[in-house]
This record gives sequence, structure tokens and C-alpha cells, in this order.
Amino acid sequence: MPQTLIWNSGMVLLVAFMLSPLLMLIVFCFSESPLLSFPIQGWSLKWFANAYYRPGFFPAFINSLIVTACVGAISTVVGTLAAMAICRLPARISGSLMALLALPLMAPPLLLGVALLTYYATWLNVPLGLHTVVASHIVFTQPLVILVIAARMASFDFAAIESARDLGASPLRAFFEITLPLIRPSIVGGALIAMALSLDDFLVTFFTIGGSNTLPTFMWGMLRKGVDPSINVVAGLIMTLSIGATLLGFRLTGYRG
Amino acid sequence: MYQDPCSASAAYARHQEQMSSLVELRGISRTYGPIIAVEPTDLDIKEGEFVAILGPSGCGKTTLLRMIGGFISPSSGVIKLDGQDMTRVGPEARPTNMVFQGYGLFPHMTVAQNVGYGLRLAGIAAEERARRVQDALRLVHLDDFGGRRIDELSGGQRQRIALVRALVMRPKVLLLDEPLAALDLKLRRAMQDEFRRIHAVTGGTFVFVTHDQEEAMSLATRICVMERGRIVQDGTPREIYLQPRTRFVSRFIGEANLFHGRRQSGHVHLDNGLSFAHEGDDGEVDCVVRPENMVIASTSDTSPSKRYDMNITAKLVDMTFMGPNVQYKLITGNGEDAMVETSNEDRKSSIETGANVMLWWNSAVQRIVTE
Amino acid sequence: MNWEAFRAGAIARIAPSLVIFASLFLLPISYFFVISFWRVRSYQLRTDLTLDQYREVFQNFAYPLAYTLAVAFAIAAVTTLLAFAYAYYCRFKTWRFGITLVFLALLTLFGGYLTKIYMWKTILGSAGLLNSALLQLELISEPLTVLLYNVGAVIITLVHYTLPLAILPIYGSLRGVDDVPLEAARDLGASRSRVFFDIILPQCRLGILSAFSLSFIFAAGDYVTPLMVGGTSTSMIGLLIEAQFGARLNSPLGSALSFSVITSCALIILLVAAVLHVLVRPRD
Repeated sequence: MPQTLIWNSGMVLLVAFMLSPLLMLIVFCFSESPLLSFPIQGWSLKWFANAYYRPGFFPAFINSLIVTACVGAISTVVGTLAAMAICRLPARISGSLMALLALPLMAPPLLLGVALLTYYATWLNVPLGLHTVVASHIVFTQPLVILVIAARMASFDFAAIESARDLGASPLRAFFEITLPLIRPSIVGGALIAMALSLDDFLVTFFTIGGSNTLPTFMWGMLRKGVDPSINVVAGLIMTLSIGATLLGFRLTGYRG
Repeated sequence: MYQDPCSASAAYARHQEQMSSLVELRGISRTYGPIIAVEPTDLDIKEGEFVAILGPSGCGKTTLLRMIGGFISPSSGVIKLDGQDMTRVGPEARPTNMVFQGYGLFPHMTVAQNVGYGLRLAGIAAEERARRVQDALRLVHLDDFGGRRIDELSGGQRQRIALVRALVMRPKVLLLDEPLAALDLKLRRAMQDEFRRIHAVTGGTFVFVTHDQEEAMSLATRICVMERGRIVQDGTPREIYLQPRTRFVSRFIGEANLFHGRRQSGHVHLDNGLSFAHEGDDGEVDCVVRPENMVIASTSDTSPSKRYDMNITAKLVDMTFMGPNVQYKLITGNGEDAMVETSNEDRKSSIETGANVMLWWNSAVQRIVTE
Repeated sequence: MNWEAFRAGAIARIAPSLVIFASLFLLPISYFFVISFWRVRSYQLRTDLTLDQYREVFQNFAYPLAYTLAVAFAIAAVTTLLAFAYAYYCRFKTWRFGITLVFLALLTLFGGYLTKIYMWKTILGSAGLLNSALLQLELISEPLTVLLYNVGAVIITLVHYTLPLAILPIYGSLRGVDDVPLEAARDLGASRSRVFFDIILPQCRLGILSAFSLSFIFAAGDYVTPLMVGGTSTSMIGLLIEAQFGARLNSPLGSALSFSVITSCALIILLVAAVLHVLVRPRD
């Protein structure tokens, strides 16, 4: 059938379009040549060493880990609490509340970045640093956690909690022994996706970090200085961590579209 | 399927053949890889008939209906509608309309838009369309619902909108796929009356698929019983119930006691000891007796009435009061299960569970089946 | 648990989220908006109310603003079209693989914003993948330089970035389209294309609009992409906004520019929503 053929080949092209930049990056990480071109002349791991010993890489990596961990922890606790309250509200209220909280996800990151920069620097007069980055990231990661957990809670059998209460459990005990084990995969999954988003963020970080670096802003510095294949390795590290966290996150939340 | 030239259904078929057929299926089959959903099947449906295609799930009844509607193309055979070959014609060009299982209403349209959609596609002018939509809604007593959204309707209302959305097209044949399956018992009964009334009012030809034998009995003028991709019996509800052609039909439609036996040179010998003359090929047979055609009597009694000429011994295992009826579960002398249903007036209070009893029936009501 | 106590508990649980939302989103954005009515004199922020910044935007930045909106519109249109085709394929044209394909698209949503831009710079560059492939196939004799540093490169890069973002809402709405009404429409006389336009499309209007809005807003507000692959001729507004916070230190103008873009985007999205509403709706 020609129609099917057209569809299939069109979609193969589209998938190739979506994946090719990411796949090429992986290839270039292991390419020996300092020029990013095809065909690949030889294979080498030297860019990994090159990136590792580059001044500033290690602090940026540590900073990224700190920010990601803090953002993950805070947005998960806050988001889980909010999701548990939201899912028991009437559908109309919970819907508009979620739409409101999700606004920061829709704002252009540039606007969010410069607005937060102005807010911290001009109004609050707080010094910029990792803490301002963490605060800024939580704004757009918490709605994601809420969405993931609320989606799980929508199919949650509240009778299970009520039976636990009926059998003599205190509310707190019912939460830790019934609710938490049931929604734990979603919580961990939501946390991982939030962390991936935080790790990957460049624009908001760029405006709110002040003098130090995380991996993306470090990579940005390298990009401004000129072509150096160790950029590939840094980019590859960010990609591996964020996609890895996302994959694991989706697996845990049982994402089905 | 008219294999047996002597049966009553064949006589019925010959009678029907004198009228011209609206739907003619010739050798229609459908396979999915190695799986045969519908075996080569012939079927003729006359104008004005209300046909039920009845069978358990997976028997191919929906596939058959969808082939008539044009949603599945047959692997072999010819479909003629009103004399025209429609085998390779899509559903949009067939003079049939379908009421879908789950209704398939358009969720983004109002009730009136739903009902008027097909008319709009057919190019009917706006005023004429509005009038016909209103008439259709009146037919199902939903006159004021034209502006409603679909999600504001109850299940029964949705069902009726789905029905008139198809009816408003004035189809030559209306196809209904398990139309009442999603409704609760009370609503189902009400909708059955509604369907009968609408069939009478519109005078159309209805073909519906169901797994519910009671529904088929109460609605249809003719029932085609399907089993494993074949129509095993085709006749009026009365024929299907009183003269089941196979063991499957006798068990699927109503309750039935099957007493196993053998036929040899014109005599049937049942395992429970009874034997009587019955013409036919030698081989294994079953004697079908409906539970309501049997009575229970104590072993000491003689025949409770002159018309009962058959009797066997059995042991009463369980007794259930069902309201109007009492149901007795028994085991015959040779270890077969049996069931008897009598009106609660005839309840034998003297007979206790565990007692040995006699089962009596009239040989005229029994059927011998070989398949 | 009675309703009053439950409601108190619910408020307590939701409070941290709302505090974060208010103090780190609502307040900064509102403050940022207020700033657009202030001015900068000798590198000092003056809190006198003025419309100077918006006047400035209209006098000196009208062209880049219009240009940005046009480019962003093109990006959003292409993205929405491709995303719809992809989501439609996943929903209706594949058997079981659909969800895997959506998942694949979703994964590319992550994996590095900077990385993607940088890789497109590499692909489209004079020694890049595209040029080497064309050279190898002997379709061209020397590397094409027109691939990079123009608006085309910006469009390709941003379409690539926003595509997975746009696929998700459209797939979500297509998944909500039930199969039975599609058959019912066929039964009532609709051709395949009529089924598409009358039944499928109206039901995913919201998904299409979200996909368009997401990619439109993102494209209009981006600045790294035009900076890295756009060359000097692509004067998109993001670059100018960023400049007010980098070299020029004129946050009131930056703010006015930002809110001009956002407002224009909102107006255009409303317009698109209205057009969609008129074009794609059930008729009596």
C-alpha cells in the first residue's frame, strides 16, 4: 500500500530528525579527531580525560549534583504533600489549582531567569549562588512532581486507607504503612524527572547562579571559547544523567503516554 | 443453514424464500490468519423481519453483523443488499446503519448534531434536516434534548440517541450490535419494549446481535443461533426453544435436561433405561426435556396424569424457591444431572432433599438430538 | 475524619507549594512587570512611573518584535504540523508500537537544551554531517555555507527542540478519541477524510492549541538558539532582552521587551484559538 509506505517512511525520517543530534553526540565523544566531522577517522577516550582535567569541570559537576539533589528532595516533599491534598479536592478546584501551579512550566525560561535575577538582585538584595538556583528550579519542578503523583492518586483506592483506619491505625501510621508504599514508585519517579529537568536547565541557572558554574553553564563557557571536543563529553554527561534519570523515572511511574 | 430438509426450520425457510430477500449472504466467511471467525455462511433476511443473531461471546456473531455493515470485508462470499452486490462497498455507501455497542456517539457534538450528522453528509437541506431530527427525537421521547451535550445524558438516553441517529437515515437494514449490553436489567426491559414499539412504528428491518437468549426471545421474530462461526439453527423463537436442533442450542436457549443414549435400527435406548421407537441414523443421541415439562412424584405414586408416559427414578439433591417457581436439582438413577421446575403451587411439600423420586414427562415434548 | 478537619489538613498540605509558587513565581513576575514602568538613570534604577520603556519598544524594537513573532509562528506551525502527524501515526497507524514511539519522542525532550543547539550547529556547519554527506554523494563540490547562521538554522533547531513538547499534548488528546464514533461516522456516510475533519480533529483542538502555544512561546522567548546558529542577521527579541541584563544593565527595558513579547504571544494564541474554534467545530 503506497499510503502506508509514505506514512512509514515519513515517520522514520521524523524519528531520525529527533534522534540524530543525540546519537551523533555519542559518536563524537569517542572520536579521535578534534574536528567534528564525518567520516570518523579513529576512536579514542582522550576527550574524557581532557574534560575531567579541565579546570572548573569538577566544581561544576559537584555543583550540579548539589543543586539536583536539593531540588529533587525539596520539590518531592512539597509536591507530594500538595498532590495528596489536591487529589481529594473536587475535580473543578483541583483542575484549576494544578493549571495555576503549572504556569511556571509554561513560561519561557528566559523570562523566568531574568525575572528571578531582578527579584533576587534588585528587590531582595540576596547574593546569588547555588541557593538561588535551587529556589528558582523548585518553581518549575514542583508542578511536575504534583502532576505525576496526582495522576497516580487518581486511581488510588482510598478505601484502603479507610480500612487501615478502621482496623486501628492512626492517620500517620496509615500514611506510612498504606499510602506511602503504594505511591512510592510515583514519588521516586516524579523526583527523578524533576531532577532531570533541574540538571538540564541552562537559562534559569545562567541568570541566577552568579559567579559559579553548574555543568550546563560550564558547557556554555566552553562553547563561547571555541570548538573543543571535550565539550562533547560534558554534553554527553548531562545527556546521560538526565535521560537516565528520566528513563528510570518513567519506568517507576509506569508511564503509558 | 438449511441442511435438514425435513425440519420445521427448513419449511419456514421455504416459506420465506417466496418473498424477495433484502439481505442475501452467500458463502460469507471471515478468517484471521489461522483463526476462522465465521465459516462460509448463507443467510437471507426479508423486509420487515426482526432478526436476532444469538450466540456466546466469540462465536462470530459480531463479525457477521460487521460484514453486513461493511466494517469487515469477508474473506469469501457475496453480500447483496436489496439485490445489489455490496461485498466490496464501504460502510458509508451501504443502505445499512448501525447502533454500536458502546453507542459511538460523537462526544464533541450536541444531541441534535449527532442525530443530524448523517443527514448533513447526505446533503439534506437544513430545514428538512431539523424537522427529521426533531421527529426522530420525538420517536424516543427526547424532544427537548436536542441542545444537550452527550455527557449530560444517562445510559438509557444515550442508547436511544444512538438508535435514532441510525434510524433517522431511514436505513434499509438497521444493524444493532449488543444494543442493550451496557444497561441494567430494569432499563434493558424498558428498552426492549421501546425497540419492539419502534420496530412496529417504523416497519423497518432490524438485525441485532446478542448473547442474551432472553433478549433474543423477547425481541426477535426470527433467531439465528451461532456457535463457533456457524449458524447452527435458524427459526422463530418458538421453534428454537421447542425444537432445538443440537445439544448446544438446547442448552444455550433456556435450561434443558439431556439424557444420553444410543439409537440402533429405529430404537433409542437411553442410559437411564428408557427405550422407545425413533427413526434415524444409528449412533449416540441425547434426549432433550425442558425442566418445566417434567413433574416430580414420589416413587410409590403411579403416573400423576394420563399424559405422562415417560418416567425415570432420581434422587432429589437440592430445592430452591425462586418466587413463582420452584427449582429441583436431581441426580438420575444412572448418575446424570437433572433439573425440574414447577410452579410454586405444585410444590410437593412432602418430598425432602435426599429422597428418591420419580420424574415424569410426556414423550411428545422430548426432542432427540444427534449433534 | 470530618470535612472541616480534612479541609484544614488539605490547606496545610498544599500551603508549602502555594508559598513557593507565590514567592518565587508570582512575586518575581509581578515585580518584573512593575519594573517595566520604571527607568534607569546613570546605572541606577529609578522608581518613577513612566511608559518610556514601552514607547522605546514600539519605536526601536517594533521590527525585531514582529520578526521574532513571525519566526516563532513559523516554528510553532511547522512543529504543530509535524507533531500532529507523529501523534496521529502513533495513535492510528501503528499497532502497539505507538506508545513506544511516543516514549522515544518524550525521551528526546530531555538530553540537553544546549547540547541540541550545539549539535545542530555541528550538523549544519561547513564540516558537518549534512555537508559531508552531500559531498560524499557528490551532489555538491564544496561545503555549503548557507546552512548555518541564518533564520533557517534557527527554525530547524527550534522545531527539533519543541517537537517532543508538542507531541505530548496532541497524543494525549488523540488518545482520548474513541474508536467507535469513528466507525459510526463511517456508517452514517462519512468518507475517511470527513471522519478526520468532522470527528477526529474537533476532539483534539485543545491538544493542538497547547502544542502550538508551548512551541510558540518557547520559540519567541529563546535566545541561545539565535545566538548560536542564527548569525548576525537574525535579530530575535530574546537576544535583545538578554542584552539588557548583560552589557546594558537596563532591566526596565528588558522587562518591557519581555512583557511585550508575552502579550503579543498571548494575543496571537488567542487569535489562533479563535480561528481553530471557527474552522474546527461541529456544525448543525
